[in-house]
Amino acid sequence: MKPMSRYSISILCLLMTVSSLFAQKDEEQTADAIKIDSIGFQEKYGLRFGIDLSRLGRTAFETDYSGFEVNADYRLGRRLYVAGELGFEEKSNKTNYLETSAKGGYFKAGVDFNLYNNWLGMENLITSGLRVGISSFSQTRERFTIYDTNSQTWGELQNNDREEFSDLSAAWAELIFGIKAEVLNNVFLGFNVQIKARLSEKSPSNFENIFIPGFGRTYDSSKVGTGFSYTLSYLLPIYKKARSKKEIPDETEPTIEN
Amino acid sequence: MKKIALLSFLLIFTACEPDDICSENTQTTSRLVIEFFDIGALENPKTVAGLFALGINSDGNEVAIYGENVASRSKIELPLNGAQNQTQFKLYKNYDVVNDVIEGNPDIITVAYTTSSVYVSRACGYKNVYSIQGFSIETDTDLWMINGEIVIDEVTNENETHVKIFH
Repeated sequence: MKPMSRYSISILCLLMTVSSLFAQKDEEQTADAIKIDSIGFQEKYGLRFGIDLSRLGRTAFETDYSGFEVNADYRLGRRLYVAGELGFEEKSNKTNYLETSAKGGYFKAGVDFNLYNNWLGMENLITSGLRVGISSFSQTRERFTIYDTNSQTWGELQNNDREEFSDLSAAWAELIFGIKAEVLNNVFLGFNVQIKARLSEKSPSNFENIFIPGFGRTYDSSKVGTGFSYTLSYLLPIYKKARSKKEIPDETEPTIEN
Repeated sequence: MKKIALLSFLLIFTACEPDDICSENTQTTSRLVIEFFDIGALENPKTVAGLFALGINSDGNEVAIYGENVASRSKIELPLNGAQNQTQFKLYKNYDVVNDVIEGNPDIITVAYTTSSVYVSRACGYKNVYSIQGFSIETDTDLWMINGEIVIDEVTNENETHVKIFH
């Protein structure tokens, strides 16, 4: 099931990029017309809110996962957005020696910066952003088998006493890179990847946080985590503001700032 | 946009997770390490000729110890039974099998301990750490062991000697 959901998600992503390519061609002429008019194009400012499709997909296809995330951003300036995510995740983890599960909610808040110089008439985004995330969760140790390379002599020892560790928490900082393409009027499809660094965590005694909602799985060797989202969002326009002439690029080709 | 399409392809194919395998170098549940010393010169390790160990389970039956072979040596590693609070071993000196008859001098030792499960890592899970509470040599008519002594009571790794036996 796992690879299937990954492929369906990748197809979705592909469609998204392809559709935005076509969108670009269609609007090429109108964009030029607007430019010739020399009237500043009115850009939409407002509140965009949406859901994470990848978490819904994983909930449907992966037996050991369920999760949900809503996201929102509000445009402050031509390139600057305040953005945040709110979600819930539950994940179980099973190895030969340890069976655990974690569940809880998380909240992330920060800013997105649009790096993309749109052609006139288009409002797509290639964003780089920062987030601070916090999570409050509980972790359950379902069962474990003592790791003993010499267990052939006396037999393996299994402990089936279920134990829940509640009131756990974690905080992390996150770099987020993404794209959002307007596929229909005010409707955006987006994809982003996240690189996270754990700042602090409250771990259970004689155990550790295997999975942190919002942060993802942890690694023994580092405090780094990764994540990704495919978002579907709707922009609720509140007001429009013209791009000043000096901000309109003269090049015929759009450029990506890096 | 082509760059982005390429980037998304790369991301899709790098989404594999590394295997969570417990490394052999990780110290997990440790065996009890017994070292044999010379009763005449307490500081000197003394080889036991033809040393061979067997476990004795709670019913009094002999249990073969995994990886145990007859060899002359001054050190032996014995797995403790985590399901109980003591384990008995039969240690043979000059072990040999001649015409299906076991030869040698067996002495029985008893190790008493408490057990605690200690978290290691996500891949290795938990290990047992034993805290030795007592060590005794069962009396018999022909003891080759003379005396025993607990040196380190926490059995956490096999690089150190937990019990000394003088002979």
